[in-house]
Amino acid sequence: MKYSFVTQQLVQRELKRKYSRSRLGILWSVLNPLLSMAVLSLVFSTMFRKSIENYPVYYLTGLILWNFFTGATNAAMTSLADNRTLLLQTRFPRAVFPLSRVLASFVNFLYSLAAYAVILAVFSIRPVWTMVLFVPIVALLGLFAMGVGFLLSILYAYFGDIRHLYGVLLTLWMYLSALFYPVSLLPETMQKVIGENPIYCYIAAARDCMMYGQVPPAGLWARMVLWAVFVFWAGSRCFLKNQGKIIQSL
Amino acid sequence: MSVEKERVHPVISVRNVSMEFRIPKESSDSLKEYLIRVLTRQHSLRTLKALSEVSFDVFPGQVVGIVGSNGSGKSTLLKIISGAMPPTGGQVIADRDQIHLLTLGCGFDRELTARENVYLNAALLGYGRQEIADRYPQIVKFAQLEGFMDQKIKNFSSGMVSRLAFAIATARELPGVLILDEILSVGDAFFRKKSEEKIRRMIRGGTAVLLVSHSVSAVLGTCSRVLWLEKGKLMMDGEPRQVCDAYLAYGRKPV
Repeated sequence: MKYSFVTQQLVQRELKRKYSRSRLGILWSVLNPLLSMAVLSLVFSTMFRKSIENYPVYYLTGLILWNFFTGATNAAMTSLADNRTLLLQTRFPRAVFPLSRVLASFVNFLYSLAAYAVILAVFSIRPVWTMVLFVPIVALLGLFAMGVGFLLSILYAYFGDIRHLYGVLLTLWMYLSALFYPVSLLPETMQKVIGENPIYCYIAAARDCMMYGQVPPAGLWARMVLWAVFVFWAGSRCFLKNQGKIIQSL
Repeated sequence: MSVEKERVHPVISVRNVSMEFRIPKESSDSLKEYLIRVLTRQHSLRTLKALSEVSFDVFPGQVVGIVGSNGSGKSTLLKIISGAMPPTGGQVIADRDQIHLLTLGCGFDRELTARENVYLNAALLGYGRQEIADRYPQIVKFAQLEGFMDQKIKNFSSGMVSRLAFAIATARELPGVLILDEILSVGDAFFRKKSEEKIRRMIRGGTAVLLVSHSVSAVLGTCSRVLWLEKGKLMMDGEPRQVCDAYLAYGRKPV
């Protein structure tokens, strides 16, 4: 691909920047989810002991996917505004900026997989063939995140407030994604709502194939694919339509 | 002279370029303010004409200076020529891949080292992987930054930063058009001399240079032709001495 070199340089920059002032550097990508898992397990393990087996694994499976999504979209949101001067200088397709931010978050996600692998081993979860399905699930989530990132980056160029609004929205979204509690705990209607939440779909599918050795049901696959394709399509369309105009408002 | 020029293709052809910014009378940076204004129908826009009907051609080997007071539309014009912004009227005919816009301190990430910045910046300017690896030593040498390349840019002086930016942008042999936005007025006297020499060498090879400066003396010293922009209009286009005198006279005029 023609733009692979510049994309690679931008991704490298994001990664170097992220940890440029810390000593442990990239190791934080591994430690962060582990520490978070330790805290949540301390608080909720006993509470949900009956309904969730291997609570730390349950939580961590959701958390690494959730972190990938929020990291990618938050970073993509400000990508155009942060690179304002570069936008004036280069004639690269502007999509390389949000794209490289999402890819950088993906690399972070890969690091957090190291923590995940350790925890899977600690809880003696045996490798089964269904774990292979984790790859397409993450790919679909990545596509979904890219679409959201495209939309946010354009919105943020017009309205700086979007960042704060999105922060609040993410909090709500997280509670609706059943990251740290079992869905069965909720009333029926609420369960239905959560079932339609795209992020929950990806997390539930990942739990199926990683923790329970099951192939996620066809309905779930359909939702995951539709969400990813639709949001990516809408996001990139919006991005392409607006990329010429945003430079004025940045 | 003009007959001779006609035969050569212009590297940049600016034709009736106009640029209008529609800006709200009261700025609404926040979504809340914007929505309130749209809902209450107080969302009135006024049009700011940054450029009106500007036309000129630049030919290979020319060094064209652009002068004008603050807010005269110089930067807007450069952004349009470099392709960063589409004009609202008219068009610019140029091979965009051949144009290099060089402005001060831009494109560098202060948290990264100079070496990392060279690679990043060169990649953004369209250099290939091998190309940048080949030219790296030459860039460092020209910028006189041997021994500093593993330092973070944030520890550099502004002169060092602009030396590096200049070295990267000019490392390629013969870029078609080099656009310098206030870049010659920095660096010490020695580096200025060196960079002027480099530019002269590139001009001999057929590179055209567009130079924007507040400093009339810098323009007079390097340019073969000067454009004077005022309030978005092209006031004059011609011999440096003549145009600069007119510009200075205009500036001195009591308001």
